[in-house]
Amino acid sequence: MTPIRIKKGYDLNVDGRPSDKIEQLPNPAYVAAVPEKIPFVKPRLAVEIGDEVKIGTVLFVDKRNPDIKFLSPGGGKVEQINFGPRRIIREIIIQLESEEASEAFEKVPEQLGHLKRHNLVKILLNGGLWPLIRRLPYRDIADPDEIPPAVFVSLDAGEPFQPPSGIYLADQKEFFAFGIQVLRKLAQDNVYVAARHDSREVPAEYNQWITHFYTGKYPAADPGVLLYHTRTSSDANRCWYISGQDLLLLARLLKTGRYPVERIVALGGSLASDPRHLRTRLGVPLAHLAGDRQQEKNIRYIAGGLLRGYIAAENTFLGYYETSLLLLPEGDQEEVLGFVRPGFNKPSYSRAFLSYFNTAALPMDCNRHGGVRACIACGYCAQVCPVDILPQLTFKAVLADTVEEFLAHGLLDCVECGLCTYVCPSKIELADILVQAKAAYYKEQTA
Amino acid sequence: MKFFKRFFDAQRKHFSQGGRFARLYPFFESMETIFFAPADVTAGGPHVRDSLDVKRFMTLVIMALVPHLVFGIYNAGYQSHLASGLSLNFLPVFLKGVWIVLPLVIVTYAVGFFWEIVFAVVRRHHISEGLFVTCMLFPLTLPPTLPLWQAAVGISFGIVIGKEVFGGTGRNFLNPALTGRAFIFFAYPARMTGDAVWVVISPAKAAAVDAFSGATPLAISALAEKGVGVQAALSQAGYSISKLFVGLYPGSIGDTSTLLSLTGSVFLILLGLASYRIILGGVLGILSAGFVLNLFATQASLPWLALNPFYHLLMGGSAFGLAYMATDPVTAPDMPWSKWIYGFAIGVLTILIRVFNPAFVEGIMLAILFMNLFAPLLDHFEVKAVLSKRVPNV
Repeated sequence: MTPIRIKKGYDLNVDGRPSDKIEQLPNPAYVAAVPEKIPFVKPRLAVEIGDEVKIGTVLFVDKRNPDIKFLSPGGGKVEQINFGPRRIIREIIIQLESEEASEAFEKVPEQLGHLKRHNLVKILLNGGLWPLIRRLPYRDIADPDEIPPAVFVSLDAGEPFQPPSGIYLADQKEFFAFGIQVLRKLAQDNVYVAARHDSREVPAEYNQWITHFYTGKYPAADPGVLLYHTRTSSDANRCWYISGQDLLLLARLLKTGRYPVERIVALGGSLASDPRHLRTRLGVPLAHLAGDRQQEKNIRYIAGGLLRGYIAAENTFLGYYETSLLLLPEGDQEEVLGFVRPGFNKPSYSRAFLSYFNTAALPMDCNRHGGVRACIACGYCAQVCPVDILPQLTFKAVLADTVEEFLAHGLLDCVECGLCTYVCPSKIELADILVQAKAAYYKEQTA
Repeated sequence: MKFFKRFFDAQRKHFSQGGRFARLYPFFESMETIFFAPADVTAGGPHVRDSLDVKRFMTLVIMALVPHLVFGIYNAGYQSHLASGLSLNFLPVFLKGVWIVLPLVIVTYAVGFFWEIVFAVVRRHHISEGLFVTCMLFPLTLPPTLPLWQAAVGISFGIVIGKEVFGGTGRNFLNPALTGRAFIFFAYPARMTGDAVWVVISPAKAAAVDAFSGATPLAISALAEKGVGVQAALSQAGYSISKLFVGLYPGSIGDTSTLLSLTGSVFLILLGLASYRIILGGVLGILSAGFVLNLFATQASLPWLALNPFYHLLMGGSAFGLAYMATDPVTAPDMPWSKWIYGFAIGVLTILIRVFNPAFVEGIMLAILFMNLFAPLLDHFEVKAVLSKRVPNV
């Protein structure tokens, strides 16, 4: 099998990579569902403060399609519901009891052969795991009534730092096989599993399911990138995808008949005292995950990855899709004569620093490293864009609101990897502009 | 540094909201960020950012230009002392050069910075570091004898008409430094062309050096007689290949040295700040146009036609223009093939203008400005071709 060669992209070499160690975390006192961080969803609450819930009780549904349910990550009492501006639901916090009860869901026999597709969809919807399956290019929850052109299983995100497949796939062969069966049923056998060609992140016993190999830097493993490099017609544009770890959850739900709440989470960043992987549960408090950390005045908590993640306060909870927590220095200090230093320790995509010769993982902070300026057409963004968008032109088309033009530029192929913003010397929020435009276009389409 | 920190902190109140000079905040910001990189942090993902910013980008370009400035200072002093029959020792020559060149540089920076501040204040945006490169490039392309007020007029035109009226750095389609130079080139040709403008001759000695000719290689080449040949005319005037390469001869302040342009462009290409496509395309364009003209050369034709193409690279600031002017990313095309074509066309046009239009021997300047106009068109067609290959996704 010839690997798919993805030439563009960039691997950040950041200090604070989690070790391969997995530690079992004790149960936290509280867990929470975080509807605010689920893209596009319009939550309608199904519980009130004080309600007793079990693991798997419906907490809220999506107003756009009430069949899509989000279930309780814990058993106990609804302690608090936090609202944000315009009454957006931020968190539904549940106080855990020592003995948690669990809702029972329909179990599925070993072989899916006899089960009708729509029954399977129904079980997944009721089991609260349907939203794990998402649809390109907007990355919204997949439409249960649709049959996709294909489903991509995304094994390794490549973004610093997510649990690698070698960690979460260990001893999960049975569940993985079953999960693939489920997807085959959903997508009428068009299931693609891609693995890196050169390094063996994916354990060897999973080779039988791998349909594509790829080579390339971050975000080569992203389903959007793989789709871009494999599709031959626009019929394939609306593929579905699911992450490898989430696939195991689907299988576990169907096999055990219980809502699975276990997650393996990566804890990384230069301020994490012991960067490692943690076996914990859905909706865990960030402070519980972070444990004791190196003391520094300003720590930024990033949930969900260095490039695509969001800033979370220490007293909040890990969201439905996120499997990583990073602790980084905020970096809100001025630097003396910053722009003329040789920069042996300054990470850069360009060759303008001596760090070009430094292969060590470098510490990074959240400083913007420069003032916002007009685009000077340096072209770095187009050099890193994994799907051949020309961000320096596309963002101007977006700002000028010329819809036809930015669509022709491939705006919808954008995989939201954030590399264009990362490399921009003018510090323009390119990825943000493109992602917002995509979301706005989607909302216009579905309105 | 503590002193500067205290100084800026003390002055900040005057420039921030409600302060006496609140409108001049862009000026304050640009001064402060020279000493202290801002403490601003990212507002969301991607949470980390590359260490490269525009300030460093432009600083490195200026660093590439500093050898030109130093050499230009020495050369201006050297030519002046040579023509005036004064001591050729390093120190007096260099001091003389400083005396000639530094006022031009200071005036350029002062006037350029003034316009940038005016527009930054009116438009409420930051001062873009591109200005510092423009103001460095501009004096390097001037004859050392240029009156200061003409330099001021030139840089004003370059900054205001070449850049600011179109929206400032990033939105200009003409290279501002060259726009300014072209303006004074056409407005005050007497001080920009001819044999008398390239060397500053001390007034006291002027009478003694009547016989001195300050002709540049381009001027000599353009006047070469039929049958003699340009190469012969050049070597008769003392311009050997090595002299042309090193650049110690009368000419614009900073663009005579092909050697420095070569090392500068290698520096810029290695650091990823200049496009090798444009520079190599330009070199190829010059060589191939020169070579094609060689094919048409006969005894009766213009002597220019028979000139070894490599000479074209050594004269008239071609190397300087290709290395620093053509590679300005804002005014060059964005797309890789367009860059090749753009560079190549600059090379070809330079030669054509030089050879067939001896009135405007400064071919490289006009060629770059002309191709600046075509950069968006080249991009347009290449982008269209690239986009047509995409699988549509709507």
